[in-house]
Amino acid sequence: MASTELKENLKTQIIQYLNLLDITPEEIKDDTPLFGEELGLDSIDSIELIVLLEREYGIKITNPTQGRKVLVDVNQMAEYILKNSNKI
Amino acid sequence: MFITNLYSISPQKTFDNSFFDGEVKSFFGNKYYVQEPDYSALIPKGLLRRLGKAVKIGLGAGIPLIETKKDIDGIILGTATGGLNECYKFLNQIVKYDEGTLTPTSFVQSTPNSIAGHLALITNNIGYNNTHIGMGLAFESAILDAFLLFEEGEVAKLLIGSVDEASEHNYNIENFANYFKSIEIDSTNLLNCDSQGSVRGEGAAMFIVSNEKENAICELADVHQFTYPNDKNIEKRAIDFLEKNNMNIDDIGGLVLGFNGDNRYDFWYNDLINSFPETNIYTYKNLVGEYPTASGFATWLAAHILAGKIIPSEAIYKNASRLPQNILIYNNYQGTQHGFILMKAV
Amino acid sequence: MNKVFVTGMGVISAIGNNSAENLKNLRDGKSGVGPAKYLKSNYGKSHPFAEVKISTEELKARLEFKNKKGLTRTDLIAFTALKEALIDSNLTAKEISAEKTAFFSASTIGGMCHTDELYEDANLISSGSEYIESYFLSTHALKIAKEYQLSGIVGAINTACSSSANSIMLGAKLIKSGRATRAIVGGVDSLGKFSINGFNSLQIMSDIPCAPFDANRKGLNLGEGSAYLVLESEDIIGSKKRYAEILGFGNSNDAFHPSSLSEDAVGVVECISRAISNAQISPIEIDYINAHGTATGNNDITELIGIKKVFKGFPPFNSTKSFTGHTLAAAGAIEAVFSIFSIYNNELFPSLNCNTPIEPFNEFPIIEHKSAEIKTVLSNSFGFGGNCSSLIIRES
Repeated sequence: MASTELKENLKTQIIQYLNLLDITPEEIKDDTPLFGEELGLDSIDSIELIVLLEREYGIKITNPTQGRKVLVDVNQMAEYILKNSNKI
Repeated sequence: MFITNLYSISPQKTFDNSFFDGEVKSFFGNKYYVQEPDYSALIPKGLLRRLGKAVKIGLGAGIPLIETKKDIDGIILGTATGGLNECYKFLNQIVKYDEGTLTPTSFVQSTPNSIAGHLALITNNIGYNNTHIGMGLAFESAILDAFLLFEEGEVAKLLIGSVDEASEHNYNIENFANYFKSIEIDSTNLLNCDSQGSVRGEGAAMFIVSNEKENAICELADVHQFTYPNDKNIEKRAIDFLEKNNMNIDDIGGLVLGFNGDNRYDFWYNDLINSFPETNIYTYKNLVGEYPTASGFATWLAAHILAGKIIPSEAIYKNASRLPQNILIYNNYQGTQHGFILMKAV
Repeated sequence: MNKVFVTGMGVISAIGNNSAENLKNLRDGKSGVGPAKYLKSNYGKSHPFAEVKISTEELKARLEFKNKKGLTRTDLIAFTALKEALIDSNLTAKEISAEKTAFFSASTIGGMCHTDELYEDANLISSGSEYIESYFLSTHALKIAKEYQLSGIVGAINTACSSSANSIMLGAKLIKSGRATRAIVGGVDSLGKFSINGFNSLQIMSDIPCAPFDANRKGLNLGEGSAYLVLESEDIIGSKKRYAEILGFGNSNDAFHPSSLSEDAVGVVECISRAISNAQISPIEIDYINAHGTATGNNDITELIGIKKVFKGFPPFNSTKSFTGHTLAAAGAIEAVFSIFSIYNNELFPSLNCNTPIEPFNEFPIIEHKSAEIKTVLSNSFGFGGNCSSLIIRES
């Protein structure tokens, strides 16, 4: 899967899993910090994103430190998925 | 204690004045769902997105009150089941994913205390915070809890309330237990049909209560509860309750009764009516359905009656042409849990 | 205002089916955390739990409830502890069912411990199991009310992990206000997929025995159990044996996050301070703290911060959850009973598995069982939704 397509899918999935009302995929830039002020995500959201990675991409993140390195922005998430997923 | 402000989200349009303007909705079938306000002005987007229904209607009814009275000393709610839809969402996840990696939001939203917890969170209230879950007396226990705090002299103002939501999954369970009508009928006929079962409603009713009479809408004077009574002498219990408050039957201008159309239990209300021949009688479950904390809605309605609001005819069972100065609310849940709430005009 | 005394106690947990067994294992340092035997959950294979060491069928048989239908494991555990408390307090049937005897219980899972049946009933896969009317969190309280013909105030509370501390608080308040002369108070929770998966989804469940107040703690172990206390007013207690006095209580909300406590320990400091003020004592009079001590990353450091702020130091403290696991709604009541053990017998029990204290405080909890003059105890319980409660219990 091309990186762009993956990132677009990912943005839609992030919005769906986190039920981000009023946000369109276009409004999430590839480098928007996930846990920055713009999106306002918190610790429960980080767990939800880990569930997203497992359910959609078969990737299991087992420790919080690993999670923090991956869940930085859409770019980092996509890169990690391309490297580690056996589902795409 | 005195009610100084109140708010209701219910199957009727009670979050604004529409209900009292005559906009009364009737329902067909066994499920009466709430009519909801626009929450976006009340609840931050970031929080709203993950809220389950119970928390949403609880916040929707509570925040407008706390906004106007930020100095409340505590929050006490009654809810029999908390976030039911979230509870079943999480349950279904457990089975669907065979206990695999699950998302926590539904679990956190399902707990009964998450409503009072979110109210405290959103208003930054570190005061007393409690949630009562005793089914048909959960709201009455919340009132009792508030009385205790006022008597201790620890608080001046509290937010108390009731929240319960309907749920398709829970409906299935209650249906197995024969809670509901086997034939769907119109709500306008609910209290007339002589058959078993009732309908399922939901709603949130919130009140700011104060130990001071100033600016009060009415007084919440006393509460009493009993469970699995071993006799059916509701009259004696009502008289004893009134006597404890230095009152008698003649002092009661209005009864707000929890008739729900279930002929297994409605006799309790008929028996009481016989003892109060000169009293206005109001009903509400034909408007909002039956649910454990429905007496919260009854309290909301009673407060409006005492405040002199014109009450829609659909809520009036008998008009004895009195302007009630004192109202006795009597409700029972499944014929096993019974509660009285005494309210007075100010 | 009337003083409130404890005249009877009953407890069942992973470390004992009654008070005597619990006390013995506390003294012997024997934890009840380990592989679950009766639990139906995939996590039973990978995580230790603090299970009551009796099957549901056996619980039913011991209560002589063999022919009764619809009794959940939660109901049975509650009835077991309650029975012991009522016998211990020597209450007559008439006193139990008197109008001025109140009853307040608590649960966070209720009959939902039977998760498979709940799923099938709710999704119309079954034609209605025997538990149809048993799932609600307060059902056990109503069953108790029916069985014992309670005619006074009957209620149930859910403030997550501080629930039964609030039951005790309500009961004490009802007596102090004169609305009740007696109150039977406590709580119950049993293990079930619902709470196990709930806590696991928040990533706070440890796959090894929990280590409260240890720098390397990995989270909590879920447990099950129940405890009930019989509270009686000084006006009616006569010459009855008194275990202790419920001297004070405090309740507050941390108002920070739905499932974790604030860094400043706002809720913790508030509820402890309110309890101390309510008891009309000063902090220095607290001889020992039965901490909430769940062994989660968030709770233990926050609790230490809160304790330091109130006490300027650290009175002797432990977490008995290292023995019983986290019994959720039952924790407040079980730990009140354990606190009373310490007062009544002048002894302190260890907090297990703490090898490295948490920085920057570097404070070890009580490490070994020892005699000590214990007059006044603070017992903490903090739950989701920011619900923080503290009880102060004194010898009498």
